[in-house]
Amino acid sequence: MTGRTIEFAMIGATLATTLMAGTLAAETHKEYRFNVGSKPGVSINNPYGSISIRPSTGNFVVINATLSSDKVEVDNNVTSNRVEVVSHLLPGADPRSGSIDYEILVPADASVTLHSSAGALRAEKLHGDLTLEGAGATVEVRDITSAHLRVKTLNGPVTLSNVQDGHVEVDSLSGNVTLNQVTGPRVQVISTSGGISYSGDFGDRGEYRLTSHSGDIEAVVPDSTSADVSARSVRGEVHDDIHLQPRQHVPYVLEKGSAFWGTMGRAAVSSTVVLRSFSGKIHLRKRSTK
Amino acid sequence: MTCIELQESLAENETGGSVAQRAHLRDCPQCAALVAELLVIACAAGELRACNEPSPRVWNSIEIALRKEGVIRPQHEVHSFFPAFTSMRTLRWLLPVAAALLVTAGVLVQQHLPSHSIANNEYAEQAASGMESDAALAGLNDDDLIQEIAQQSPAVQAQYTENLRRVNQYILDARSSVAADPNDEEAHRSLMDAYQQKAMLFELALDRSLP
Repeated sequence: MTGRTIEFAMIGATLATTLMAGTLAAETHKEYRFNVGSKPGVSINNPYGSISIRPSTGNFVVINATLSSDKVEVDNNVTSNRVEVVSHLLPGADPRSGSIDYEILVPADASVTLHSSAGALRAEKLHGDLTLEGAGATVEVRDITSAHLRVKTLNGPVTLSNVQDGHVEVDSLSGNVTLNQVTGPRVQVISTSGGISYSGDFGDRGEYRLTSHSGDIEAVVPDSTSADVSARSVRGEVHDDIHLQPRQHVPYVLEKGSAFWGTMGRAAVSSTVVLRSFSGKIHLRKRSTK
Repeated sequence: MTCIELQESLAENETGGSVAQRAHLRDCPQCAALVAELLVIACAAGELRACNEPSPRVWNSIEIALRKEGVIRPQHEVHSFFPAFTSMRTLRWLLPVAAALLVTAGVLVQQHLPSHSIANNEYAEQAASGMESDAALAGLNDDDLIQEIAQQSPAVQAQYTENLRRVNQYILDARSSVAADPNDEEAHRSLMDAYQQKAMLFELALDRSLP
């Protein structure tokens, strides 16, 4: 390494340290703690920045907020058994200076509403009603039981993992939706152009409806799956790699390659699965044992 | 303004469009839902009236009942809700409600489309004009939406324009499917899904957190 290279490296390191120190100095951390009753309502509205929510160990709500600058502040309001938090943008705030990242602990049975236009929304290990909305928000939900889960995004991708016994509704205009081990009495995904990917066994006696206008739909299921599956794409291709007992009576003409309807596994405990697209491909396949 | 005061004030101004009402509705989802329901009822009532006119006595009875309840005043008529949608900038908070109306209006209009077979290209034209009338019924307009986004948040205008184009195509395709087989329940579901997606687009575009 020449002397000149070392000189450049040292200047670069100094500049980087100065910039980082400036950023850290502008950031502030705030913590709020609220005592609540059982099944409290918690609502967070954060235009810019992420929100991550996990269960607390008791009847309290803890909010850790990292504010990116003094152009934004945290407004909170507690009424009866409801905690509302809003990121209040001050004049001159932009997506960078108006950003707040929240780490939140709530009782596991809380009814939670998270709203962010652009940040990531994450929720885990809860079992109350859960609503996550955001135009460009990336949504990740995992380890949720017996919850009514609603997700809405414009183009933000949605990933749900290990959601059991859920009443699940996902609406996304163009974000890809991925469901891993998601089961419940009702699971519905509607998309306009985003792809939908389901991996799991469709549970027992549930109703699953995955529809996209132009996005592809793929369902990967294990051998043990019991489901009555109908798939239909108006202009796209439909493939199934699984042996299905064909239905005797179907309400429309099954054109090979564009629709199928049949039962796999035990009919008595089978769930109803509807896969529908207009121009996307639909593929039902068996999970690889490798 | 408290919730009770808001509900009482609806007798004076049923659109919820006064400054004090708007301020309360911004922060109170319960009252916002109440006003939304009132608007849905008004919109649906207007639709039904146009399609299948019941006896004037029915409307009189409803009007008398509403007056007795204090919900409306004699000088106001049911269709006085609609002017509330004409000023987008002053009544942004009402647009999610209007988006919900789009779904209702779309489904109502679809139910009254001819069920006999129509040539596909003819139907596409009807579908396109039908879609415009659905939006007009709900007080929504794609151009207004894009204009609003261009002013409020130009960085995301292209995203919304593209998504709007796609969802309109979804509605057209779903309408064609219903026309091709009016007895296909799934086709009707798809049409509702398509309208729901468009309603959500409006909601996301104009919600309170739009940067």
